[in-house]
Formats: sequence, C-alpha cells, structure tokens
Amino acid sequence: MSKTLMVAYREFSSTVFTKGFLIGIVLTPVMILIVAGAIAATQFLKGPTPAGTVAVIDRTGKVGPLIQQRFSKEAVDKEVQELKEKAERAVEQLAGPAAQQGQGKMAMSFGQQQLENQVRALESVRVELLPSDTDEAAAKEPLKNYDVAQARDGSESGKAQRMLVAVIENGVLDRNDKGEYSTYGIFTASKLDPEVKGRIESKIDKAIVDARVAGDPRAAAGKLSADDLRALLASPVSDTKSVTKEGIKKSSGGLKVMLPMAFMLLLLMSVMTGGQYLLTTTIEEKSSRVMEVLLSAVSPMQLMVGKIVGQMCVGLLILTLYSGMGIVSLIAFSLAHELSVMLIVYLFVFFLIAFFVIASMMAAAGSAVSELREAQTLMTPIMMIVMVPWLLWLPISRAPNSMFSVVMSFVPGINPFVMMIRLSSTEPPPTWQVIVAIAIGVLTAVICAWAAAKIFRIGVLMYGKPPNWRTLIRWVRMA
Amino acid sequence: MGQGFTEWEMPEAIEIRGLTKTFGAKVAVDQLDLTVPTGSLCGFIGPNGAGKTTTIRMIMSIIFPDSGELRVLGRASAVESKDRIGYLPEERGVYKKMKVGAFLTYIAKLKGVDSGAARRKTLAWIEKIELHKQLKDVHKKRCEELSKGMQQKVQFIAAVVHEPDLLILDEVFTGLDPVNRRLMRGLIEEQHKRGCTIVFSTHAMYEAEQLCQRVFMIHQGVKVLDDTLSGIRAKFDPRTIIVEPMDAEIGGGANAVATLGAMRSVRGIRHVEAVEDRQGAVAEYLLTMEERCSPREVIPEIARVAAVRRVELKKVSLDDVFIDLVTQGGDTSVKREDLRLAAEEAANV
Repeated sequence: MSKTLMVAYREFSSTVFTKGFLIGIVLTPVMILIVAGAIAATQFLKGPTPAGTVAVIDRTGKVGPLIQQRFSKEAVDKEVQELKEKAERAVEQLAGPAAQQGQGKMAMSFGQQQLENQVRALESVRVELLPSDTDEAAAKEPLKNYDVAQARDGSESGKAQRMLVAVIENGVLDRNDKGEYSTYGIFTASKLDPEVKGRIESKIDKAIVDARVAGDPRAAAGKLSADDLRALLASPVSDTKSVTKEGIKKSSGGLKVMLPMAFMLLLLMSVMTGGQYLLTTTIEEKSSRVMEVLLSAVSPMQLMVGKIVGQMCVGLLILTLYSGMGIVSLIAFSLAHELSVMLIVYLFVFFLIAFFVIASMMAAAGSAVSELREAQTLMTPIMMIVMVPWLLWLPISRAPNSMFSVVMSFVPGINPFVMMIRLSSTEPPPTWQVIVAIAIGVLTAVICAWAAAKIFRIGVLMYGKPPNWRTLIRWVRMA
Repeated sequence: MGQGFTEWEMPEAIEIRGLTKTFGAKVAVDQLDLTVPTGSLCGFIGPNGAGKTTTIRMIMSIIFPDSGELRVLGRASAVESKDRIGYLPEERGVYKKMKVGAFLTYIAKLKGVDSGAARRKTLAWIEKIELHKQLKDVHKKRCEELSKGMQQKVQFIAAVVHEPDLLILDEVFTGLDPVNRRLMRGLIEEQHKRGCTIVFSTHAMYEAEQLCQRVFMIHQGVKVLDDTLSGIRAKFDPRTIIVEPMDAEIGGGANAVATLGAMRSVRGIRHVEAVEDRQGAVAEYLLTMEERCSPREVIPEIARVAAVRRVELKKVSLDDVFIDLVTQGGDTSVKREDLRLAAEEAANV
C-alpha cells in the first residue's frame, strides 16, 4: 500500500468510525424518517372536536332546513366519500395508477385521515332552528358564556352550549338591483376554534347555494340540482403525460420542480461535509503538533493528496448513502422513471470536480492556520461558492437554458452546482455545454490543487499569526 | 545535485555543502557546510533561532534549500531515504484521539514496515521502556489519556520503531524529568551501539557533553563550531586556574592580602581575582595565566607559595564555549562575516 493510500485510509477511518459521524451522517436521515413518521402519526390524532350548538335565525325560511340536512349523518357520509375519491385522484395525478398499490397511497392517506376525522366530528353538532322573529341580541347572549374547557370534556352540558349563531336575511337568496346577493351574519363565541368555525361556515355556504338553486325557476325547469351545477362548474382535471423517446410517461410536475433542488442539495452536502472534515483534521494535525512527525515519513504532497482522497471517500459515502436513499424512496413511490442513469453518473462526476475545488481550498486554509477559529477569515471565498448555488437555484431551474444559466454553468467554482441543477431540470442542457462545463471544472480543480499544494507545503509548518488570502497567494508565488 | 559527491567513496550519513535558506529577508541558514560521519553520535547546538530546526528540516526534505548541496545516507535527498531515517521533531505531538498502539503502528507502516511487523515492534517497544507498567493496556488507551512524559516516550518510539540508520532528534531532552532524561540518554546510546548514526540538537549542554563525540554549533545561520569534544576543550583552553585557600580568609584580612600577593608573584600569572562567599570570606581565587605559559610549571609554584586546599586547571565546559561564542562581539548585532572569521580563527589556534 502506498503512503498516500495509507494516509487516505487513516483519514477515512478516523473520520467515519467515530460516534460523531455515525450520529451526524447516518442517524440524521433515520431521525428525519422518525420525525416524519411522528408527524404523520399525529394526523391520526383527533383534531379539535366541535362541541356545542349552532343556532340559525333564518328569515327566509328556506335555508334553515337545508343547513340541518347538511349536518345529518347521510350528508357527512357522502362528504367523506367524496374526500376519499378526491384523494385517490390526487395520488394518481402525482404518480400514476401504479402508485396506488405502493406506499404512495399510504402516505397520502395520512393526510386524508385527518380530514375525514374532522368532517366526521361535525356529526355531533346540533343545529337549532330559531324562529325567524327571534331577537338577535338575546340569541347571541349565550355565546358570551361559551366555556372551552367544558366543550372539550365532551360532557352533555358542553355539547349543549351555543357556539355559533347564523343570521340569514332575505337578501341572501334574493338579488338586489345590482344583481348581488347580500352577506349573511355569523356570530361566534370568542374562543371558538377557527377550524371548527370554518367547517360550519362551509356547510352553511353550501346550504345557501342549495336554497338559491332550488328557488330558481330556470334551474327547476332545466331539472338541475345544486350538485349538478357544482359538478358542471368544477374546473376540469388534466391528465398530463410527457412524450419521450422511450415512450409516453406519466409526468409529475411536483417532482420535476423538486429534482434540481434535491440534486443541488445532495452535491452541496456531500462536498461540504468532506470539505469541513478536511479543514478540521488538518488544523488538528497542526495544533496537536503531529504534522512534523508525519512529514518525517511522508512528503507534504503525499500527505495532502492522501487527506483529500480520504475525505473524498467520506463525501462519496455520504453521496451514495443519501442518493441511494432518494432512489429507494422514488422506487417506493414508483417514480424512479423520472431519473436517468446518466443523471446519477453526472452527479458523481460533478461531485468529484466540486469536491477537489473545495477540498483544495479547505486544505490550504487548514494548513495555514493553527486553530479552527483563525480559519474563519479564510473561509469567506469557500462560503461564497457554497452560497451562490442557493441564490441561483430558482432562476436557473426556471429557465435552465437561458443565457444567464449557460454563462453561470461556465463560471469556475460554482459550475458543478449550476450544471447539476440544469441537468436535473425539465430541459437538460446540450451535451457540448456539459462537456465544456466538465472541462472547465477539471481545469479549476487542477489549478486549485496545484496552488493548495504550494500553500500546504509552506503552511503546515507555519505557526503564529494567521495569514490572509493575500499572504497565501504570495506563498503560491514563492514556492 | 550530488555530482560533486561521487568522488567520496565511503558515504557519510549526512553531507552538506554551502546550504543556504532564506525566509523573506531573513537568512535562516547561510552557506552551511556539515559532515556527519556514518556511525557517529553528534550534538547540534546553538541558541534559539540559530537555524538548527531549519537545517534539520532541510536534511529531512521537509523544506528545500535555496542553494547548496545535500546528501543524506548517500542519496540526493531524504525523500528517497525517509524510511531509513528516524526523526523526532521539536514540534512533536500525537493524534489525541488515536489509540497508542494504532498510532505507533500507523507511523511504522508509513515508514515502510509491513503491518504485522509494525504491530509486533510497537508492542515490543512499549514493553521495553515499560510504558505498560505505568498504565495498564497502554496500547489500547487514547494518546490524550497519557501524561506528557509518557507522550514523549511514545513520540520517541515513533522515531525509532522502524530501526532507522540515521536518527535525528530535535530538542529531545526538553520537558523530561531527571529520571526520564537518564532513560532517554540510555536509549540514545543503545541506538548508537546498534550502529545508528545520531544527530541531536539540544540546549542542554550537560547532555551534549555526556553523549556526543562531535559537536556542531551554529549561530545566526553560520557554523561557528565543528569539532570533537576533546578538540573543543583543547581549542577553548581557558587558561584559568582555580585555587581554594586552606582556611577561609576574611576579605581584606592580613592573610588574604598575603596570599594574594604571593600568588601574583608567581611567574606566568597575569591576574588574580578573589571570589568571596556570602559571609565575605574568600572562597577561591581565579588566576589567569599569561599566553605561552604552561600550567605544568605554574601549578606546583602556586602550591609552593600559598597554603592551598585545592588547585585545579579549569576544565572548559560546553556551556562556556556556547556562551562565549554567542556573546562574542555583542549578541545583538553580530555580523555574519565577523562570526565566520571568529570561527575560523578559533579553528586555527
């Protein structure tokens, strides 16, 4: 085994086989899954249970019964059924029919369950129809005494509390001269849960529309019910498929938007983790004064290359781990066809380029200082390279082939990130641009590594005042 | 490089010709010539900032000279013979989080010892210097758990575990207590007996005197001394005789004046100085001899004229030589040329 490889192996093993790494890198995704699972689990918990009565002062005499009907068991069942169908359509829309057998449906059903629970809960709400000549002020009086605690404990007295009063005037059903319906009044207890209020309101809204349609002679003549009209007016749903050389594929817009972001994050994360470790271990070797002991056995160049290769393996491990997890989850959702093998190949190619650029700078910065604190001033250009992709993500993923995007993908340092965003977007760049970007990237990496080697050789044995980049550039010229 | 060396038949361990290194405006090492014969044990001394560490780093090919020629173990540079050199740098440390055994095995492997042998040798060394008696299962402990003295021993093992032909020790005695100093001296001598060429830099003149066959000294990047210990003693003949009077003589007393006068009258004595102890009594006299005057004649004469308990010719210590060379011409602004001339003069006496 050559000395460089020995250094690389030590660098890799001393980084990876530590509690910190295992917890930080391997357990983090596990933690994310657990947290996601926990959030999903909370959806099975009941939402706020509406407890109390809804009083309706119906001056028209037509809406009140319809409201009562909306709160009946049959109406609630029907609503739940509709929700289910809607959710299934949404899953199909996102992932294609195949996903319904997969975990996709399961994930979707988490959200749906909560909706269903809330809709179901309205069954227990009792609607009181007050006489049309009831005094409004008197009817509202009980709202002041609404007790949240009592409403929550599920007792009979709690359920008997008045939580909402709806006042429906004639104008709600009859249009004025300008052809507008008037508003109706809702008065709630101040502590009423806004979600409960919203659900009650939507039921009253629907009942009013039902009443309007029922009272309309044209609708009656055309034998149209309010539900018919709703169905007629619902916006049409498109079934989008993308036509490719391999055939017609189900297209999922959401994923297309997320993909460039995901690729950029993967790249950034794996590059920066390896890079940060490189900085830390280099500074550690300096501050613990083990550096010169190592230099008695290996040359500065062997040491630097070994360390970079070692941390590259750390970055590759992270990249493989996380992208593997991503691919597995895409397969689980039957979305793997959104990825091409070439895209993964490019991910690794651009990882290597970005890593060598960043790692060279990290090695140079690490070798030049004696403490992590002192490295902060040298980190600025590295942080710039890391920050820029965040700013560029949106404009580039929106217009992957604009002049701006093309120019950005040729800017040394940031071009691996820009290219990765473009490659994973809906409109991949022409091959020649990819090749040019790779060429520029490789050249940048070579120049950075060359300069870093010079800085490293001088820096590793330099203690004392931390240098700035100007000094480092002088070292490059000097050596 | 190396062309000029082909005529030497027997390769020296280290050969340096006209080595120069500058850092910006500062000349760290200036036209240094140095030869370390194979199998010798040499001391490399000099004040702080003299250029010792820079020279050693150039020998180790960690930094490269601006000009000059350098040969280590018969090769053009240490890069090719690193596996045969053991180096204990002045700035030395260990991987704090690494286990002692793993650290030593790693270093040994880096020096070209194969895996199995590296582990075996590591354990043998730990046993040899009895680290395991100080701390049970020491090879399984993290380096940061060790005391500073133990860490120093681990570092020494790291320098010798691959059985080098050349051992360079930079400030090896710094920070060791007297017991460990003695242990270290023993270890160095043992390595020397094994046939290893040893160069060690130090401030501790006592150790240098105890161990070295040959001493080099550099000051401000210039070699000011390069000789065997006996050679140095001969060159830096102090021409001072120490006389301890038989009875304590109270300063200015009649006896004291008489003794002083008697000693002044001895032929060949140029100057007599009385050294008093805390009580004001004369503890001893320092007699300076004139040039070209042998102690053989002077010493019996002194014993004849004065009642003395002890008469001895002051033996030059490396300490005196060191201080003498460093302070020569005022220590702040010594010109390099002057230093060189002074050194040459000293060599020609």
